[in-house]
Amino acid sequence: MGESDYSFSLTTFSPSGKLVQIEYALNAVAAGATSLGIKAKNGIVLATEKRLPSPLMDESTIDKVTSITGNIGMVYAGMGPDSRVLLKKARNYAQSYYRVYKESIPVSQLVRQVASVMQEFTQSGGVRPFGVSLLVAGFDEEGPHLYQVDPSGSYFAWKASAIGKNMVNGKTFLEKRYSDDMELEDAIHTALLTIKEGFEGQVTENNIEVGIVSDDLKFKKLTPAEVKDYLSEVE
Amino acid sequence: MDALGLLRPAASVSGLPAAHVPHAASGFALGDHAGRAPAAPAEGPGVVASASSGPLQRRFEPYQNNGGTVLAVAGKDFCVVASDTRLGLGYSIPSRKVSRILKMTDKVVLASSGMQADMMTLHKTLRMRLVKYQQNHQKDMSLTAASQMLSNMLYTRRFFPYYTFNVLGGIDEKGEGWAYGYDAIGSHEKVSAVCSGTGQTLIQPVLDNQIEFKQQWGAPKVDLSLEATVELIRDAFTSAGERDIYTGDYVEICKITKDGVEVEEFQLKFD
Repeated sequence: MGESDYSFSLTTFSPSGKLVQIEYALNAVAAGATSLGIKAKNGIVLATEKRLPSPLMDESTIDKVTSITGNIGMVYAGMGPDSRVLLKKARNYAQSYYRVYKESIPVSQLVRQVASVMQEFTQSGGVRPFGVSLLVAGFDEEGPHLYQVDPSGSYFAWKASAIGKNMVNGKTFLEKRYSDDMELEDAIHTALLTIKEGFEGQVTENNIEVGIVSDDLKFKKLTPAEVKDYLSEVE
Repeated sequence: MDALGLLRPAASVSGLPAAHVPHAASGFALGDHAGRAPAAPAEGPGVVASASSGPLQRRFEPYQNNGGTVLAVAGKDFCVVASDTRLGLGYSIPSRKVSRILKMTDKVVLASSGMQADMMTLHKTLRMRLVKYQQNHQKDMSLTAASQMLSNMLYTRRFFPYYTFNVLGGIDEKGEGWAYGYDAIGSHEKVSAVCSGTGQTLIQPVLDNQIEFKQQWGAPKVDLSLEATVELIRDAFTSAGERDIYTGDYVEICKITKDGVEVEEFQLKFD
């Protein structure tokens, strides 16, 4: 790739108009474990594979699906440590917002801010882009939202999306299964089916994570027991 | 609201004998009579000697009290924010008609008394923040959000305050009318009726008695209508105008209902 001549510095455009570091960051995301999100009428579900390098690892301590505020959560694909940095910034920003306006931050405002941070890291000296794409799900005054944020800082609202290794097949699968009047329960089933599609091996309640937020405005991770129940419904 | 007594307007700003004003620990002394040496020597830049020692140095006094009274009275589903329009300075009247009111949104109105310069800057800054909020959120700021933001903005100037005494009034997301009273550094409280400024001590007791039915035993608490509230406010200003030299000329009254903000004006005595 002649492009690689232009990849030494983040702030240099290649002749084709790309910032090569961002392309590479997207590669890092595409190598990560699949994560997906589905927006239903009355809530949103996030799900991810917990792909561990070794069976000796204690998977119960891994937290890929995390809450940002009481009613907003996120999942990532790509480099875990990078996602933690963004999670911390997102949480802090949400609290500063409350400090100023005494109102919960709207999901779109939070996403805009996170995306803005990610963009800064594509235009500053001495830093590299974040090697993660995020799926942010939240239920606020305007209803349910699902946003994807990429290493470049672009963000998109989705009805359903998949990121990471199996994103192409995942999105095709979701396109077929998605309907605008899905209820949250249907969405959870569809999410599990989509994960199963691309999963190497057997899906159990210990090697995936699922998070939901519904019109009760409370984001929560499903416990392994709850995940097991949903999985059995989906068999 | 008035917890920090040192920020109470002291009539000493230009020419009148200074009431005793306790010195702020940080080194600047509000209401320090220009030219007279402060009681505690060696407090910050420009403040020099005690009466017994050498040359006196004139400090730059950053604050001025331009007087005026503002109030906000909330009803069940409306709020009325009013202020007089006199700009005072010592025993003079530089202007009979200045506006102390900022219409923040169709549902929220702010009125500020104190120092005109700080009031104008505060209002300008607020206006900028309101536009930014509108652009980001695609909707106007709610009363709760505006009240918290104002408090925040005032506190960011904790060590060189805006010399403004604010009242905020409006209708919240549920359609109820509420008012907020502030001190100069952002301490605020949600209430039904509050007033601030040079006429505060004259009008607040009346509002407490007539709106909140305080110090009345046995009288049934009734919700006042918008018209009754406006009548009460007119009387309050007329009375305050009689006794407070800084209150007078005109009164601007903003009536906030679910249909928006309506402004009316009436004249007080020019003396």
